[in-house]
Amino acid sequence: MGEYLLEVQDLKTYFKTKAGFVRAVDGVSFAVKPGEKIALVGESGCGKSVTALSIMKLIDQPPGEFAGGTILFEDQDLLDLQESAMRKIRGGQIGIIFQDPMTCLNPTMPIGKQIAEGLKIHLKMSNSEALQRAVSLLEQVGIPAASERVNSYPHQLSGGMRQRVMIAIALACNPKLLIADEPTTALDVTVQAQILELLSAVCQEFGTALILITHDLGVVAGMTDRVVVMYAGKIVEEAPTEELFAHPRHPYTLGLLASVPRLDEGRQTELRTIEGAPPDMLQPPPGCPFMPRCFFARSICRTMPPLDPLPGNSTHRKACWPDITDPNEQAYAERRQQARVEAQKAAIREVTNIL
Amino acid sequence: MDIFDQVNTTTTQDEFEPMLELTPALVQKRRSQARIIFDRFMRNRTAVVGAAILIFMFLFCFLGPYVTGHNNPNAINVSNVSQTLAGPSLSFPLGTDDVGRDELARAMAGGQVSLLIGLTSMLVAIIVGVGIGSIAGFYGGIIDNLLMRLTDVVLAVPLYLLLFVLSASFIDHTPRSVILLIAVLVWPAASRLVRGEFLAIKEREYVLAARTIGAKDFRLMFRHILPNAAGPIIVNATILVGNNIILESVLSYFGFGIQPPFASWGNMISDGQGYFSVNPWLVFVPGLLIFLTVLSFNLVGDGLRDALDPRMTER
Repeated sequence: MGEYLLEVQDLKTYFKTKAGFVRAVDGVSFAVKPGEKIALVGESGCGKSVTALSIMKLIDQPPGEFAGGTILFEDQDLLDLQESAMRKIRGGQIGIIFQDPMTCLNPTMPIGKQIAEGLKIHLKMSNSEALQRAVSLLEQVGIPAASERVNSYPHQLSGGMRQRVMIAIALACNPKLLIADEPTTALDVTVQAQILELLSAVCQEFGTALILITHDLGVVAGMTDRVVVMYAGKIVEEAPTEELFAHPRHPYTLGLLASVPRLDEGRQTELRTIEGAPPDMLQPPPGCPFMPRCFFARSICRTMPPLDPLPGNSTHRKACWPDITDPNEQAYAERRQQARVEAQKAAIREVTNIL
Repeated sequence: MDIFDQVNTTTTQDEFEPMLELTPALVQKRRSQARIIFDRFMRNRTAVVGAAILIFMFLFCFLGPYVTGHNNPNAINVSNVSQTLAGPSLSFPLGTDDVGRDELARAMAGGQVSLLIGLTSMLVAIIVGVGIGSIAGFYGGIIDNLLMRLTDVVLAVPLYLLLFVLSASFIDHTPRSVILLIAVLVWPAASRLVRGEFLAIKEREYVLAARTIGAKDFRLMFRHILPNAAGPIIVNATILVGNNIILESVLSYFGFGIQPPFASWGNMISDGQGYFSVNPWLVFVPGLLIFLTVLSFNLVGDGLRDALDPRMTER
């Protein structure tokens, strides 16, 4: 077995529509070591969830289609596996937690039974054994009075509790990899922190590798070893978490970090955003997908930059031609931004004149 | 006294308040899901009335003959003319028919046949319908197409026409053959309903979640999807019982179903209508029994639909 537990290489997941192929995931490569925690960050629709579902091979085909690449899990290509072999991996080797715990639990089945299901499928436990294990799992994820709660139905639990149950289900068979697809988006802020802490703690305890999918950079900061930033179906930057926050090297990452609102800013300060919208995935631009929104863009950006490690730092990879730490480039970006602002002001003046 | 002393005295005087242990007391008081559904059903007045009538009807038909002693529906009392087409009396509370048979005993015996046929044909139809509908809905594509065209074929032929044609050639007038005939004709409706439910429910996130833990198709279909479709199926089943009782009565009324001397509510009406002017009880009694039974099955079905509402909250 190689160094990595999971190695995704040049994964391409397309969806066939009447208008053509939607390139939801277009050449994504990353790797996860055993026990490592990585984050997959990006805005809505950039292919994070499709990447997760591709790893589980739960993309409906059709309309989905794996147009290329490999997903090596313990040196076994999941894309080549039969459905029956894949079923053994789902739940047994790789667990997944979805965004909305309100809809992910079967309303007609007590939660204990739902936890026990995976145990019965993969570990061939008997009913009573599995239920006993379910109780101890519920305790491990911090549900009080677990032995009474196993017989509760999902609607009798709060959102945070249900997400804890989801975590218990995903971890029941002690998988080697846990994928958490925006696990806290549907929860209160107070509960979010608890759930993240719990995820982190149980992964540590079980020795499970974690892929945390999120659009919330605050979630990423405290929890993960490495961050992978995705944009429009491609990876644009990958670096150890602290390195990424301290020295972002891709304009998109820079924009993401700048757009996190800060408490110490004045109230009247304008919220910073990345202007524009992600490209149409039916016809992505030939070069860097971020180019139309990027102040650093030059004519070279019309060809897609490779995801190369920085010189002298093999753990930090970026897919961007210009070196955004170069003062000349920064000045260039500043000039372009100014020009944009001026153009907008002029447009507004024109409109007000007409009125 | 300087400030440090003051702080010290207050802290020592402060009572130590232990943290409250929060063991949820409400956990013990939770009702089971079945109990919640039962309670909700019991709050629906009309449905409870329907259920009561049904229970009474079953007791009447299946225990009545032993309790009342009117257990000989086929005994002919032609020897005494006063005992044919008689009105209600002490010895024959519902009167007698043209050959002096005890109308009460016949109503009870006929009820046994009618209820038995209604219930079992419903069971057969629901089992076939659920099987075909769930396979069609779950797998979709060409399997769905084939199975649904098959149901369309059955549905496309006028029900009563098919009923009479088939019964003329296939039925040997035993309850079993009537049950099979009715079941063959009514399963398509059930399978369409089940297919629709499956189509909707298989896209739910909890089904996807069940797939992520490695569940096989069979488990997905019958552990995750079917229980969530149970509400509409149960309601359909109760309404089907009433419907099937009517179908049986129609068959027997036209002489295709259960044959005299064996009684069923349908052939009792058909037997009695010739003597309507002499003894209208012969038509009213079985008619009223059919009416009450079908109505109460429908009321119970309505109540069950409300009680099994998928948004099951603990009300």
